[in-house]
Amino acid sequence: MARMLKFNIFRYNPQDPNSVPHMQAYTIDETESMTLFIVLNRLREEQDPSLQFDFSCRAGICGACGMVINGRPGLACHTKTKDLPEEITLMPLPIFKLMGDLSVDTGTWFRAMYKKIESWCHTKKVFDPAAQEERMDNAVAEAIYELDRCVECGCCVAACGTALMREDFLGATTLNRVARFMLDPRDERTEKEYFDIIGTDEGIFGCMGLLACQDVCPKYLPLQDVLGKLRKKMAFAAVNNILPSFLRKDIKL
Amino acid sequence: MNIIQTDLLCVGAGLAGERVAIEAADNGFSVICLSIVPARRSHSSAAQGGMQAALGNSAMGEGDSPDVHFADTVKGSDWGCDQEVARLFVDAAPVAMRQMAFWGVPWNRVVPGEQTYYKGGKPFTAFEKPENEGLIHSRNFGGTAKWRTCYTSDGTGHCVLYTLDNRAAQMGVSVVDKVEAIALIHDGAVCMGAIARCLKTGELTAYLARATLVATGGFGRIYRESTNAVICDGGGLITALDTGVVPLGNMEAVQFHPTGIVPTDILVTEGCRGDGGTLLDKNEYRFMPDYEPEKAELASRDVVSRRMTEHMRKGLGVPSPYGDHLWLDIRHLGEHHIRTKLREVDEICQSFLGVDPVHQLIPVRPTQHYSMAGVRTNSDGAAYGLKGLFSAGEAACWDMHGFNRLGGTSLAETVVAGMHVGGTVVEFLSGTETTFKTECMRDAYRKQEDRIKALIHGSNGRENVYGVRNAMFDTIMKGAGIFRNGTDLQESVDKLTEILARARKVGLKSNGLGANQELSLALKIEGQVKLAQCVCFAALNRTESRGAHTREDFPERNDRDWLNRTLATWAKPDDVVPTLNYEPATKVFEIPPGERGYGGGKIIPLEPAPEATPKNKKA
Amino acid sequence: MSVPSTATHEGLPVGKLSAYFDWLQMLTGAALILFMWCHLILVSSILLGPGVMNALAWFFEVTYMAQVGGPLIFLAFLLHFVLAARKIPFATGQQRLMLANAKRMRHTDTWLWVIQATTAMGILIMGGIHMWVVLTNLPITAEKSAARIQTGFWFVFYLFLLPMVELHVGIGFYRILVKWGFLDRPGRWVIKKKENLLTGIFIAIGLLSLLRYYFLPLK
Ligand SMILES: Cc1cc2nc3c(=O)[nH]c(=O)nc-3n(C[C@H](O)[C@H](O)[C@H](O)COP(=O)(O)OP(=O)(O)OC[C@H]3O[C@@H](n4cnc5c(N)ncnc54)[C@H](O)[C@@H]3O)c2cc1C
Ligand code: HEM
Ligand code: HEM
Ligand code: SF4
Ligand code: F3S
Ligand code: FES
Repeated sequence: MARMLKFNIFRYNPQDPNSVPHMQAYTIDETESMTLFIVLNRLREEQDPSLQFDFSCRAGICGACGMVINGRPGLACHTKTKDLPEEITLMPLPIFKLMGDLSVDTGTWFRAMYKKIESWCHTKKVFDPAAQEERMDNAVAEAIYELDRCVECGCCVAACGTALMREDFLGATTLNRVARFMLDPRDERTEKEYFDIIGTDEGIFGCMGLLACQDVCPKYLPLQDVLGKLRKKMAFAAVNNILPSFLRKDIKL
Repeated sequence: MNIIQTDLLCVGAGLAGERVAIEAADNGFSVICLSIVPARRSHSSAAQGGMQAALGNSAMGEGDSPDVHFADTVKGSDWGCDQEVARLFVDAAPVAMRQMAFWGVPWNRVVPGEQTYYKGGKPFTAFEKPENEGLIHSRNFGGTAKWRTCYTSDGTGHCVLYTLDNRAAQMGVSVVDKVEAIALIHDGAVCMGAIARCLKTGELTAYLARATLVATGGFGRIYRESTNAVICDGGGLITALDTGVVPLGNMEAVQFHPTGIVPTDILVTEGCRGDGGTLLDKNEYRFMPDYEPEKAELASRDVVSRRMTEHMRKGLGVPSPYGDHLWLDIRHLGEHHIRTKLREVDEICQSFLGVDPVHQLIPVRPTQHYSMAGVRTNSDGAAYGLKGLFSAGEAACWDMHGFNRLGGTSLAETVVAGMHVGGTVVEFLSGTETTFKTECMRDAYRKQEDRIKALIHGSNGRENVYGVRNAMFDTIMKGAGIFRNGTDLQESVDKLTEILARARKVGLKSNGLGANQELSLALKIEGQVKLAQCVCFAALNRTESRGAHTREDFPERNDRDWLNRTLATWAKPDDVVPTLNYEPATKVFEIPPGERGYGGGKIIPLEPAPEATPKNKKA
Repeated sequence: MSVPSTATHEGLPVGKLSAYFDWLQMLTGAALILFMWCHLILVSSILLGPGVMNALAWFFEVTYMAQVGGPLIFLAFLLHFVLAARKIPFATGQQRLMLANAKRMRHTDTWLWVIQATTAMGILIMGGIHMWVVLTNLPITAEKSAARIQTGFWFVFYLFLLPMVELHVGIGFYRILVKWGFLDRPGRWVIKKKENLLTGIFIAIGLLSLLRYYFLPLK
């Protein structure tokens, strides 16, 4: 028997002076292999054309469709209704600015992040079009890729209690990005330069180890490992010069 | 009225748009990139497989060179490409890959010694030379003589886009996301920028620019079943078509990818077959070698898609509630390979199908995938028809793909063309001044304002925008699918004429305030129907089969009459079909037309046969 | 480039204070954990008989561990409090956010933090009083402790303090391990189970000891 699904969806259009934030209920019949992508599009086409939400790739790879699904941030496009109960609540991601209904502005947040941590390879070398590429160990390339897989969906930030309480907390995705550059031999930044970016309470020392980031990340990034190693690395970076030599440590990411 | 002025306006912040932007910013020009979504959510991020460049570092790529790459590309295009452009592309591709490496792409690298690879489902070993250790590695892709597809696991597009966007941030390119260009500002001769609607607030802004680049990617979403992201809706092409003077090239050339999954149409990469995946029918029989003994699953996409359709028509497809499909089998590649090298594929199968590809077969069928068509440009990326308008990437018909694009060449095209077109844009900006005519801007702005009002108030009618779109979906698929014929195409053209009339009567059901998404669609539905009409009308008129364009009633490739490129313009806004013109496919023939070596089919030769033009000679 | 509208020191090298504080928070926390384990041995030795406890207490006394260690622990306690309190939200808005987040997400680790922060407040007050009372009335003997607890007030007092402390310590131990990267991802679930068990056992032993004190015949 096909189920009738009940959706409670957050509604608010900040551009409409008559709109007030409220929850609106919809019902829809469940079909085979149904995802929230299918549900929301059908709701808009069949029931309520004013409904706002974001999708791009609808394949779980672009990170556009982060929203709070029954309390937890996740990607709507790869959430199957058959894994959910009959009553489903959809809310926009907190922390990011609300555009309308389920749509939030992640773009602005992330661009500010790139600037803050200078999210690019810092090098004094100049590209030589005639030269062969510089060599790199394949294992290193794979390790970088592992962290480069973040799709900037913002779920880890929206799930993090620290980020909710403190606006200036960088968030797991940002710290992960920094770790990605630390791993990269092409980035010539020194440990001290990295420390200046994340060696603060807004950075790695602000993280309280809540691990919600790890538990919601739809791309299963190894955030727990990354955050742990970053804390150790930065903590030792701060004290290595005052520690006796046998206690000093250079933590590899 | 908001007005913003800049040197270069890139409509689109995918790989092509950002690569051009970086070149201009690098040379000191102010650049703004517009994008519907945050730049990194552009569809380039979805490309998994990789990018072709003849680096020749890997064992299976040994002996590769731009010349071999060139021959593959021309054959792949079924001689529909501009050979001057193809040459430009293959020569610059290795430099572009190295530049990406320099900027931070974690390409997979050569691991020396005996390595196990797969071909046709069977493992074999190859010896990677120790002296190549750590150089960029490559994998196999369809329609190529050598393994030349550079890759980062199966997140190539993602990594390259992230790297480029990082670079753009570094260069101070201003990327404005959630903004959609809805019209170009022009006076019939010069392009002066674009009118854009903010998708956060619904406000209109006039972006004035000395040079404008259309890099809006493909338009797959005029089909219902497409591997494309939902934002690949042709918005950029519509702005070009609406000028009435800018032609779109080869609109009938639409690529279907062999392996879209059923039912959600998400792509699983060609890398699956490149790494040794096979196609099976309902009896779990591997049928491709029967049709293509030489290349089997790795013939070019148009060929494999056709063979699959042919096979399903024989009743050998697997029936399902969503129609017939076939199986893709990668089980023999082993758990380790699948969970590491084909990880995204693994994830897609698990989370959208509930299928574990290590133990189960993947349901696939050919699905709309790529637009060889686009804004026709010269080899410098300058659009025909308007000065100051450029185009690059999938949105452009630069034309290295002709009637079929090879896997791994599109992503490569975006950065190679981006690099090249970026150079010509810089030249253009350095040498030209533009006079911004305020009345053009005001006209364009007011026109869009009026359209929005009309849609909200239903002044033209109350036609449901989704209804119109569904009608368009049904019609284009009937006429311009994988196999085409005159009767169906004629019917589609007639139907689309009616649908176009309906599209002009659309009115909103909702209030249209702010970032209203019904309004976004309503603003481009007429344009989408026009694009669909361009595809069907051009396909109806091209009475031959070439590359992805397959006419059952004209099965031969006809070089005598059709070795040319279709140019479609929408001359008057009220027209119901485009105006078609033709130009020679290529001015130089480094390789005169001949057999592709796969796909079969008869050829009506070009008489007299053209002489081969020596390499690198410009027309 | 954006021009800051107020004077800012952004971009200047950051000091190492945050790093030092984080070290200290962890080290004081770890020290307190170790102490609590020793403390448990002392207190629960009553289960083996008042003699054993008296012997242990005597040992701490003559080695001056109680006289010196006690105040040191008191200091660590205060230091830890000051450092960790930086993380506790005092504005209602923030407290509500955190609580709402834990509830909405049904996320254990976030809940654990909420428990840690709430118990911390109780421990601050009750632990402070307890230490004051014990340390101003040295030496420690089974007799004195039992007498105190049998007043009834202290029995109830400890009934509250005990689970708070054990929870806080247990969670704190787990948190140090995850925050400092001592656990890999699968390891986290293993440790969490073991840690829960350990906390349970500690609370049980503590309760038994309390009862023993309560019913210890006084001379
Ligand atoms: C699933 C999939 C897998 C693929 N895999 C491969 C592969 O392995 N190898 C390969 O070579 N190719 C592959 N391709 C093809 C390749 O990814 C694309 O052709 C290429 O990325 C296009 O890049 P682009 O920069 O031209 O456009 P896109 O990356 O699509 O960017 C378009 C940009 O334009 C913006 N935009 C669109 N309309 C407007 C508007 N009206 N106003 C403002 N902005 C607008 C968008 O927001 C976006 O930023 C694949 C394609 C698909 C669909
Ligand atoms: C004054 C009372 C106390 C307060 C206010 C307090 C507060 C806190 C807080 C808020 C945390 C979490 C810090 C974070 O997540 O970053 C914490 C962690 C911890 N607490 Fe306490 N605590 C107190 C007493 C104690 C006592 C008595 C012990 C041990 C006996 C203890 C052991 C720990 C440990 C081990 C941690 C983990 C340390 C870390 O994360 O670095 N705390 N404390
Ligand atoms: C140096 C400091 C300390 C000393 C000497 C000390 C000593 C004692 C003694 C002698 C008892 C037995 C009961 C009594 O006499 O009242 C006791 C019980 C207890 N103490 Fe402490 N204590 C110290 C610090 C702490 C701290 C920091 C905490 C936690 C915040 C704590 C929590 C408890 C609890 C919960 C009990 C009841 C235990 C049970 O029955 O299991 N103590 N302590
Ligand atoms: S780390 Fe994970 S949850 Fe966070 S933004 Fe990246 S993909 Fe999303
Ligand atoms: S949830 Fe937040 S506190 Fe740290 S471990 Fe993750 S960033
Ligand atoms: S739409 Fe791209 S991840 Fe969901």
